[in-house]
Amino acid sequence: MLKLLREVFRTGEATVKYPFAPAEVSKDFRGKPEHDSVSCIACAACTIACPPNAIAMETDVEAETRTWSISYGRCIFCGRCEEACPTGAIKLSADFELAVARKEDLTTKAVFRLAKCRSCGEPLAPAKEVAYVADLINAFCTSPEEADRTRLLVATCPECKRKHDVEQVASLGIERQLENRR
Amino acid sequence: MSAFISPNDLTAQPAGLSMSDHIASMKGQLLSNIKRSAYVYRVDCGGCNGCEIEIFAAITPLFDAERFGIKVVASPRHADILLYTGAVTRAMRMPALRAYAAAPEPKIVVSYGACGCSGGIFHDLYCVWGGTDKIVPVDVYIPGCPPTPPATIYGFAMALGLLGQKLKAETHIEADGEAAPLQHPDMPYNLRVLLERQARQMAGYRQGKDIVEEFLSLLESRDPVQVESRIARFIAAETDPRRAEIFSGLCQTFTRTLTDEQP
Repeated sequence: MLKLLREVFRTGEATVKYPFAPAEVSKDFRGKPEHDSVSCIACAACTIACPPNAIAMETDVEAETRTWSISYGRCIFCGRCEEACPTGAIKLSADFELAVARKEDLTTKAVFRLAKCRSCGEPLAPAKEVAYVADLINAFCTSPEEADRTRLLVATCPECKRKHDVEQVASLGIERQLENRR
Repeated sequence: MSAFISPNDLTAQPAGLSMSDHIASMKGQLLSNIKRSAYVYRVDCGGCNGCEIEIFAAITPLFDAERFGIKVVASPRHADILLYTGAVTRAMRMPALRAYAAAPEPKIVVSYGACGCSGGIFHDLYCVWGGTDKIVPVDVYIPGCPPTPPATIYGFAMALGLLGQKLKAETHIEADGEAAPLQHPDMPYNLRVLLERQARQMAGYRQGKDIVEEFLSLLESRDPVQVESRIARFIAAETDPRRAEIFSGLCQTFTRTLTDEQP
C-alpha cells in the first residue's frame, strides 16, 4: 500500500494541461495545411497529389479566373501537397484546433487571374505561373533578345506555337526552293 | 470526354432530417446553462477504427476528458452528445438514424474525423452517403484523420460552448502585381535541382527538402571561410550519422559540378 502510494507520488501528474495550456506537439506534427497565396502559382500540382481531393482547382474561362480551394473537412493531413509544391506555398502547420460549427468555415479559397495568350488572346494559364516560369528561364538567357523571346514563347498557347512553327517551316521551305532553282 | 459522373449522382440521396424550432430553443437553453456532465454516445458509421482509437485515447488519464464531465456511455438513451464517426455506409444509415431517434432531446450531434465531416478519402465511393450531415443535422464538425486527443477535447469544448471557433472561411483574391518569389535566385538552377533530387533520393521528399534547404543556406551564408571547409565543419558537428552521410554526398555533388564547369 505504502509502496504503491510512493510510486504514485513519484510519478506525479500525468494528465496534460490542455485546454488550459497550449498542447505540446512533436516536431514533424502534421496539422492544418497553411496556404501562402502570395507564393502560390496555381500550378495545380497539389490538386493532383491530394489523395482525398480536398484541394481542388476550378477554372472559370468566362471570368478568366482560377480558384484554388481546400476543404479542411476532407483533408487527411498526409502532407503530399507540401511535397508536391514547387514554390513551397503550402506547409503543414502545428495547428490542430480546426473544429467548426458551420461547414462553410472549413473551406479556404484563393482566386488567381488567368493570363491570355500573346498571339490569339484566349485564356492560357494562371498569370503568376507564366511569370514564374519566365523568371526561371530568364536565368539561362545570355542576351536580352533571347530573354524577350523566351518570355513571348512562355506566354503563347500550344496551338499558336504550332501554327507559328508551321508558318516558319513553310516560309523556310519556299526560300530553299527558290535557292535551289537559281 | 464527357463530364465526370460521381456514383452518388446516380443513386437516390436521402432527405436530411430537420429540427423543429422548439427543440432548437431547448438546445440553446441546454448550452447556456449546462451544469452537469455531458454524456457521449459513439456511433460508428463505417469508420476504419482510427477515430475510435483516438476517442478512447482522449478519455485515458493522459488527456482525461472525464475531468470535464465528458463520459462515453453505452446507450444512446443516456446521451447528450452523439458522436458520429465514419463516412456513413449505406448499410449504416438506418442504425445511425435509430441512434439519433433514441437519444433524448435536446441532443448535440458531433461529426468526427475527415470521413464524418465530408466523407474524407471515401467521399466518392458508391457505397457511402459521404458525411454525417447528409442524414442528420450536425452541430459541430471535428476534422482530422483521425483528430488527435487535444483536437477531440477542443471539439467537445466547442460543442458545449466553452471555447470559441478559430477557423473561418477565407477567400484570397490575387492582388495587382502579385508575383511568386523565386527560391534561391542566386543559386544556379541546374545545381539546385541536382542537389534537391539527390537529397530526396536519400531521405525522402519531406526530410530531403529540409536537408537541402539547410545545405543551400550553408552555401549561401556570407561567411568568409571557404565553402568546402564550412560544410566539412558542419558535417563534423552533425550527431546523426545518416544526416552526415547525406550532407557529405551533397557536398561531393557540389564540388564535382563546380570542377566540371570550371575547365
